[in-house]
Amino acid sequence: MENLTEVLQLFLAAENFLAIAVGVIVGVTVGSIPGLTATMAVALALPFTFSMEPVAAILLLVGIYKGGMYGGSITAILIRTPGSPASACTLLDGYPLAQQGEAKKALKMALYSSVIADFISNIALIFFAAYLAKIALNFGAPEFFWLICFSLTIIISLASGSMIKGLIAALLGILFSLVGLDSVFGSQRLTFGNYNLMDSISFIPLLIGLFAIPEIIEFYRKKVVPHLRAKASGAGVSLGELKRSLKSIVRGSLIGVCIGAIPGTGATAAAFISYSDAKRRSPNRERFGKGEVEGVAASEAGNNGVAGATMIPLLSLGIPGDVITAIILGAFMVHGLTPGPLLFQENLPLIYALFLGIMLSSLILLVVGNAAIRYFSLIADIPKSILFPIVLMFCVYGAYAVNNDTFDVWLMLGFGLLGYVFNRTGIPAAPFLIGFILGPMFEDNLRRSLLIGSNDLSIFVRGPITWFFIALTVGSILLALYRFVSSRHKAKREVSEPGSGV
Amino acid sequence: MTGPQSSGGSPIKDAWDVIAGAMLLAFSLVLLFYLIPEHIGVPPVMQNPMMSPRWLPTIVGWLLLAFSLLLIAQGFLTADSDDSGRRFERGPWLRFALMGLALVVYVGLFELLGAILSGILATLLLFIAHPVRTWWVYSLAIAFPLGVSLLFTEVMNVPLPTLPF
Repeated sequence: MENLTEVLQLFLAAENFLAIAVGVIVGVTVGSIPGLTATMAVALALPFTFSMEPVAAILLLVGIYKGGMYGGSITAILIRTPGSPASACTLLDGYPLAQQGEAKKALKMALYSSVIADFISNIALIFFAAYLAKIALNFGAPEFFWLICFSLTIIISLASGSMIKGLIAALLGILFSLVGLDSVFGSQRLTFGNYNLMDSISFIPLLIGLFAIPEIIEFYRKKVVPHLRAKASGAGVSLGELKRSLKSIVRGSLIGVCIGAIPGTGATAAAFISYSDAKRRSPNRERFGKGEVEGVAASEAGNNGVAGATMIPLLSLGIPGDVITAIILGAFMVHGLTPGPLLFQENLPLIYALFLGIMLSSLILLVVGNAAIRYFSLIADIPKSILFPIVLMFCVYGAYAVNNDTFDVWLMLGFGLLGYVFNRTGIPAAPFLIGFILGPMFEDNLRRSLLIGSNDLSIFVRGPITWFFIALTVGSILLALYRFVSSRHKAKREVSEPGSGV
Repeated sequence: MTGPQSSGGSPIKDAWDVIAGAMLLAFSLVLLFYLIPEHIGVPPVMQNPMMSPRWLPTIVGWLLLAFSLLLIAQGFLTADSDDSGRRFERGPWLRFALMGLALVVYVGLFELLGAILSGILATLLLFIAHPVRTWWVYSLAIAFPLGVSLLFTEVMNVPLPTLPF
């Protein structure tokens, strides 16, 4: 009862409601503008949370995340340009519907399925996070060491594109995370005597640099492309259509939950799996790809079902599953909180206040999403030539605000250039960020294990939990090798039989 | 199109991979043989080499070296089947140069001029760089730096050097 009062006290603050509403509005707005991603918006919003209460700060970022997931589908449907990679699947049926004058129907279905999936995902988060955290209380340093090994390998093995490039990105991330004073001996590591680097590389300039600056550089390096105008016309979705798609929505949500709970898999895979599952089961399967509203529902359910579930490993184990949860982990740290099993023991009211806020965000998404459909053309018609200078301003102000030092602005630009080089060479930025976050955890748990075991390496195989994670780590490496070999075979086949893949 | 591409008779299938691999190879060698020995201090007594501050950076260095060699090999053997995002048509150099100048304004003049004035200057440069042809949009170059600075300092209580005085 005492806990309940404390939870309600934490949750019912007006600041929280405002944070969720603002977060969802910003997320939908940014997500619906091609070229601006929810990741970029979450990264840019992080400096604004410095003076906020922890619950409001996290809810603001979660709101942006959820709004961004839905927002990405708006441009996918209206102008065949997904606002985020996860919305790519939505355009398969959404855009044909828009061309047939049924844009509003597609947008409404995308919204309703997003909200339902989000709600189911939140329920899964509430049930599984606490359960997993309870199990994780039995983990010691060697178990966490192997869990981090597994997280690193699974993220790399499931990353899109070249596995070698994913590994290189993760290694560079780990290397940059080691800059600063050594946590055990206090000796300087790659600081070059610069006092700004002694407290390690600031997370926020790195984040902003890596995810916002490359887009800006690329925009000004590219030839100007004409600005596309969008219009949401036609009738909305009927109750019958929603009922007909409900099974696909629930199945898609559950697919999203399962995929989201595994670090590294991401919303794009969930959307495509959910879509193909709905297509396989639907009596109208021949209409899929030509403007089937159930297709929009399935892909959006898969895509949004991931949102709450990615928070499960973050909150219960302290392991970020993707880039946005990595940023949210950063927000926890900025506010002196460390997600993981201990947070459930020491700060349970805060966790439950967050859960309530996350549930509320689904409801707010419904209201904001409806308004976005109506007033969308106003948002989408802002050209990038006006948006990007403003985004750059937020980048610079946000980076500077971390320590009130232009060194962080330099750092942000440095990582911006690195991100641009990554884009040009096809090296993914996500494993870099995950490596940057997991690197110190990896080293810390390795050293703690050695200290606990008095330098005896057998501590790393001390029980069933360590063996379980060793098996998962080996499995994910084998999966990565399988993907590598099969992609090589596929490439060879395409070379020997040109045109066969089309 | 931009960037190095493989020509029909060239043994290189993906020049970007070879260039990136070569740069990473050079970096990993510098890391292993200069940066780690010279810029990471180790305590005089240590019971286990795995506890050393140099242990993880060294492992990372050797792995980077191995994977950079693999990346070079990949560049010689296979073309990237999904490089559509890596290729684009370049715009005029002045557009890019003005963007660079805007970045210099932010980095070089942020503390000197303050957030508002440097923001106005950089935003104007970026509008000219595009170029934005609607005259009233230029008024946003004043309104936004002012508004965003006030949002940071007054609403969110995040300190910024707003003005030079």
